[in-house]
Amino acid sequence: MASTLAQLVVDGLGMGLVYVLLASGINLIIAISGILFIAYGQFYMLGAYILWGLVVLLKVPFFISLCVATVVPAMLGGVIYRLIFQRIQSMQRQFLNGIVASIGLMVLIGQAALLAFGTSSRGVPPVFTGMLNVGVVSISFDKVVLIMLAIVVLLGLHFLLQKTNVGRAMRAVSFNPDVAALQGVNSSRIYLGAMVVGCALAGFAGGAMSPMFGVSPQMGMTTLLVLLVVVLGGIGSMTGAIIAGLILGLTLSFGQYFISGGLAQIFFFIVIGLIIFFRPGGLLGQPAEEMPL
Amino acid sequence: MDNLRKKCRFNRNNLRSGKLIGLFILAIILVLVPVVVHNPYYIHLLIMVSMNAVLAMTFILLLRTGLITMAIAGFWGIGAYASALLAVRLHLSFWLALPASTVITGIIALLLGYLLVRRGGIGFVIETLVFAFIIVLVFGTFDVFGGYVGIYNIPRPDPISLPFLAPIEFTSKTPYYYLMLFLVLIVVLVFSAFYTAWTGRAWRAIGLSPRLAESLGVNIFRYRLLAFIIAAAVAGLMGSFFAHYYGAIIPSTFGPYKTLYVQVYAILGGVNFAILGPIIGTLLMTIASEFLRISKEVEPIVTSLIVILLVMFLPDGIMGLIRRGQRPQSPAKNITRVAGWIRAFLSTTNSDSRDRK
Amino acid sequence: MSIILEVKKLSKHFGGLAAIGQLDLSVIETEILGLIGPNGAGKTTLFNLISGLFPPTSGKVIFDGRDITGLKAHEIAHLGISRTFQASLLFMGIPVLDNVFTGYHMSYKTSVWSRLLRMPSALKEEELLRQRAMEILEFTGLASLKYELAANLAHGHQRILGICMALATNPKLLLLDEPMTGMNIREAQTMIDIIRRIRDRGITIVVIEHNMKTVANLCDRIMVLNYGRKIAEGLFEEIKENKEVIEAYLGKEGT
Repeated sequence: MASTLAQLVVDGLGMGLVYVLLASGINLIIAISGILFIAYGQFYMLGAYILWGLVVLLKVPFFISLCVATVVPAMLGGVIYRLIFQRIQSMQRQFLNGIVASIGLMVLIGQAALLAFGTSSRGVPPVFTGMLNVGVVSISFDKVVLIMLAIVVLLGLHFLLQKTNVGRAMRAVSFNPDVAALQGVNSSRIYLGAMVVGCALAGFAGGAMSPMFGVSPQMGMTTLLVLLVVVLGGIGSMTGAIIAGLILGLTLSFGQYFISGGLAQIFFFIVIGLIIFFRPGGLLGQPAEEMPL
Repeated sequence: MDNLRKKCRFNRNNLRSGKLIGLFILAIILVLVPVVVHNPYYIHLLIMVSMNAVLAMTFILLLRTGLITMAIAGFWGIGAYASALLAVRLHLSFWLALPASTVITGIIALLLGYLLVRRGGIGFVIETLVFAFIIVLVFGTFDVFGGYVGIYNIPRPDPISLPFLAPIEFTSKTPYYYLMLFLVLIVVLVFSAFYTAWTGRAWRAIGLSPRLAESLGVNIFRYRLLAFIIAAAVAGLMGSFFAHYYGAIIPSTFGPYKTLYVQVYAILGGVNFAILGPIIGTLLMTIASEFLRISKEVEPIVTSLIVILLVMFLPDGIMGLIRRGQRPQSPAKNITRVAGWIRAFLSTTNSDSRDRK
Repeated sequence: MSIILEVKKLSKHFGGLAAIGQLDLSVIETEILGLIGPNGAGKTTLFNLISGLFPPTSGKVIFDGRDITGLKAHEIAHLGISRTFQASLLFMGIPVLDNVFTGYHMSYKTSVWSRLLRMPSALKEEELLRQRAMEILEFTGLASLKYELAANLAHGHQRILGICMALATNPKLLLLDEPMTGMNIREAQTMIDIIRRIRDRGITIVVIEHNMKTVANLCDRIMVLNYGRKIAEGLFEEIKENKEVIEAYLGKEGT
């Protein structure tokens, strides 16, 4: 019994961390570059597929594959920013046009991946075998390692944002791009950076968690759900994203086990809707706004 | 539209008659299409273009007032399911089910809008997104809606007798086409009436500057709610048609991704043109994806490439190419406002979460 | 002389910060009341409270004998209070005439249906209101710019346009927030002239202003705010000598 509980917790943490990673990544892109990057989920999928391709097909060691799975989506994101979004950002209608471009990219990448990899789901073998025994519970060692990895990456992100110049510049731009420009911040480089880091996070999440959750073409469709997590946590708030993501992961894990079916999902969304209704700034944001429209 | 009228005040009569003649010719062309085109597939295409164009129009309607909605497909679905249930379970004739489901959708929109429209800005977008998720789940979960299998055997519209004509039976696509034309006509007339009347001006004022509009006495909530209800009811109308046209409906059709596609059509067409924009945008995208259909798998890739290229090189949409001369600057500030909201909202949220590690 | 606006013990707190504290104020009908004070004194906040942009934390606002505390901005606009904004707030993307015309929103008498169906009576009324909008433009001297997009106007004209829009709502009380910012001497003189003529039409005006000469010239009475509180009230000559006022502007070191 305790083992099952522990299992659920670990799975929940794992799932939650995926959402935290994804939420953090898209948080960066939205808060800093101001792009509602709906295609984001596809980078998560790409990371997973790259890892699968390398590990399963080419027998490349896991950690090297993970690095590739992180870097390739990041670079792709950077290229996409330079080619497409940099141009759109100088437009008056950047927000709406950005959405259209993102939707186009979502379909493009999704369909391309479908063509390249086929429609069936794949599995990735666990990195480590063996179980970890802590007291009466036993959890698979593999999952623990992956969770640790994710936490390390998140800490790295925190370090990047808080302690490095680049990170400080990013935060400045997210608060007020005009003032940041006045202080000599090259905003288009920062936007590019945000995109690259954000997509790196997505690729990493896809690759790292693939032993736990498998690989499938539909993985990219989670973007809208991730957006909800971001809003729940408060756009631009890393702490909020962490809390919201973890809550989501744990809820899904326990929810899938104890209750099943559409009713639970409906209930779940209603709860999200209510939370956002009463706290539009997210769990950590402001209560009902006094902002003039 | 106002610009057009004022600048051409002296030529008003000329312009009016020019426009009318153009519309008249267009009407004749549209009516004669099924006579010339015999391939039912193309008729089907035109029907779908019309439907998607109308849905796109509802998006623009709300966008005018400064609201980005993710609920279009949801209300489309409510209309479809309502009509299907009325016809299949209560054996109502289509001709009753159509207006009935429009009204039902409107009422649901009233209730929902009452809560959601207050939020405005990002809150509204997210809440409509949540609604979009929930409604699909609701359709799929409860047996009354047929679950994930959906509802099938939805009856065709009963044969209808128009004066001077033999009773029209809905056995081929052509009668549906004429019905859709008729519905589109009504929708366009209703929208035009609202847009050119005071309501349209109030909407535009709200979209351009809510604070200013409010200080001039415009009740923002009421006008936005009105737009919300109209948009939803029209979507529901289309949904009802859709249900009886396809004969079967499943929940996944009405998910949030459909709304995204509709938004693409609207934005590509040009957001400044509330009626022509969506039509052109939908038409172009449908034609493009049709005639570039190399193979089923590659088609979405080509279409999405076109979407991306279009949005990169035509920032004001396709209609933006047609500058009417009097518009030295496109009245585009409303979208910058939305971006400004996002920025403002972000900065406020950020400054509150100073506990960021 | 009757009092058209009365503010009693008005307070507004934002979080822990008291933007306005225990403010009392009376505005006499058809006077031009000047509202001055250093930056951050709460002048614009006071306008926001009166015009209904947000509700006060405590206190009352009474207009024309009616308690309007807590009413929304559009309701207050209907009751006859209109305002301009510190930064030119206009409908940038549409022409000047349309901007003013929007102000006539509340003046429609024909029913919603006749307007929707474009009945002749509604069209006639629209024409009438458009003419009235033109009259306002002529009154303030902007008539020649009627088809220009608001965004294309010179700054000074934009400020005047803001006042035109506020006038279109047929207000009894007009709140002007720094109407002359960014204007040169000639433009400012035009503005002063316009404000005087507005008052001559029977409209009461409260104006936030920084320039002392303008204040002396234009205003009948003056109220001084500092840190959200009223520190002086009266005629310009009295205010000029008031020690607290001087301190507020120049700091304790003072003249």
